Amino acid sequence: MAEPAGTDLVVETSHLTKIYQNRQIALNDCTLTIEPGAVLGLLGPNGAGKTTFLRLVLGLHRATAGWAKVFGRNMSPNAADLRRRIGYIPTNPQFPKGMTPITYLDYIGRLFGLPINTRKPRLAALIRAVDLLPHSGEPIAHFTPGMTARLAVATSLLNEPDLLIWDEPTHGLDIEARRSMLELIKSLAAEKTLILSSHNLSDVDEVCNNAAVLNKGQLIFYGSLQDLKGRIRKNHYELDLEGDQKSITKTVQLLRGLKEVAAAVLRHRRLDLKLTDEVPNSAVLAIVLQTLADNKVSLLSVRTVGMQTEQAYLDMVEKEEQRGFTRLYSQAEAA
Amino acid sequence: MDPLTLPSTTKINRLLPYWAVLQTDFRQTLRSWVYRLWVLLMVVAAGGYLLYEFGARNESGIFRNGSVQLKDVFRSVALGSLALVAVLAVGSISSERTTVADAVLSRGISRYQYFLAKWHSRTTSIVCTFCLFAGIVVTVQMLLFGRTHDESDVTVRGAVIATLAIGAGLAVLVSLGVSLGALTNGTVMGITAFWLLLYGGMLVLSLLPEPYPSPGRVLERLQIILRDRYDDGLVWRYLAGAAGLSFAAATVGAVGFNRKDV
Repeated sequence: MAEPAGTDLVVETSHLTKIYQNRQIALNDCTLTIEPGAVLGLLGPNGAGKTTFLRLVLGLHRATAGWAKVFGRNMSPNAADLRRRIGYIPTNPQFPKGMTPITYLDYIGRLFGLPINTRKPRLAALIRAVDLLPHSGEPIAHFTPGMTARLAVATSLLNEPDLLIWDEPTHGLDIEARRSMLELIKSLAAEKTLILSSHNLSDVDEVCNNAAVLNKGQLIFYGSLQDLKGRIRKNHYELDLEGDQKSITKTVQLLRGLKEVAAAVLRHRRLDLKLTDEVPNSAVLAIVLQTLADNKVSLLSVRTVGMQTEQAYLDMVEKEEQRGFTRLYSQAEAA
Repeated sequence: MDPLTLPSTTKINRLLPYWAVLQTDFRQTLRSWVYRLWVLLMVVAAGGYLLYEFGARNESGIFRNGSVQLKDVFRSVALGSLALVAVLAVGSISSERTTVADAVLSRGISRYQYFLAKWHSRTTSIVCTFCLFAGIVVTVQMLLFGRTHDESDVTVRGAVIATLAIGAGLAVLVSLGVSLGALTNGTVMGITAFWLLLYGGMLVLSLLPEPYPSPGRVLERLQIILRDRYDDGLVWRYLAGAAGLSFAAATVGAVGFNRKDV
């Protein structure tokens, strides 16, 4: 098969597959393209293959099948030139023992082949920028997670990369540090391409314009965040009720009898209501409210379930799980 | 945190990553407790032995030739160092896997450069340390016992060749260890493979017919080498063989490491 020209793409993968020692399928047939300026949120539960995908893109792992191109060239363990254009932060950044931020950044600068006249001013500016100036001579081993994260950010920006790959950048950060990190990502997004792996869907919702969802090594969605939100399962509400328990139970039974109600589950006094798509939800909700009123049940609150992106993501994973063997015969939605 | 906009288009020095890893690893090796323990054990063993010999000669008049003393010291140090040298060599790459190796190999360095830097760093630090140690031991021995002809039968040239011979053996071991560390998935597995290969290799080399030098035979003949009464051709063949083995082990390690995940 002829490989498509990918010179304008930052990352391009085709049928990327990774099987560890013929025992574990970590990534399965992942095909996607990332354009310049994109901020891609890589989503998925633990073990979904997010880190494997990132490591394949970085050339830290070799693909079992398929290929990954970065800046139009095949990525491999010896593609040092390509990695000079990438800034990477692993999930839990580890640093050599006995180093200070200055010695560590100098070491990383040398790993990028930066001459001293470029390296030293740049690392000094970065240490200042990430607020580590007062700690620049202290051993990294004594750093807090927040300080470590800031040092990792400085490290990933040292080579002025065109592509940033950050694996769980907000992992373990307190609220203030997390906010600061998200603001930084927003600023960087203006001039760089970013791939962010995150468990925190609100982070992805805030800073990303594209999303890829992995589940059990399979890419089940790839597209814009708007597309992901567009797949949100609608007509799912939670109602907090007040009134006589007997009346509430009776009302729920009545609601279950309505053909427009797909499911009505009562947990204590919270009603989980799923409506069908056949009738406009406003009309069905009117019937629901009328039924509540008829049975003298008060409504304390009503809300749609979940945050938008989170719900869309959960729905997608759940749907993928339910597809079972049918996934053999239909293309993944992302592909 | 402020994002930075720094001037781009910088000139890249392609050898710098190699030097960075080499220097950092060299520094870390010298700081590691395994290395310090190895040096301490060598110093204590050699110092204790020479003091014992010195005391025996002065108090009881019993003495042994310098070549016998140095042969005993070198032989015991070389064999006694194996376990710690194995840890130092195998751990060079395997101990960093899944930790700091990510932070290094995700930058502008190729796998070959990384492996070569590690190999050169460990070989240099271990062989140079042994050579320095051997030089000090020979000097001290000559100062303590160099009064009579019988006691000072060691020549400088013989001592240098003996040191080189053991250093070459150590270089083979380090090359083998670094390569196994790069090829296996953990330090424990690497050390296990190292011992298996070492015993297997020694057995095979000991089965070679007499003209071929083996590490065992070289250790046995150290006394003759120290006296500078060795067969030149045999020693040079041994040194060349050691260099060839080191190179072969490193080549296998570099190629294998390039094909492995980190």
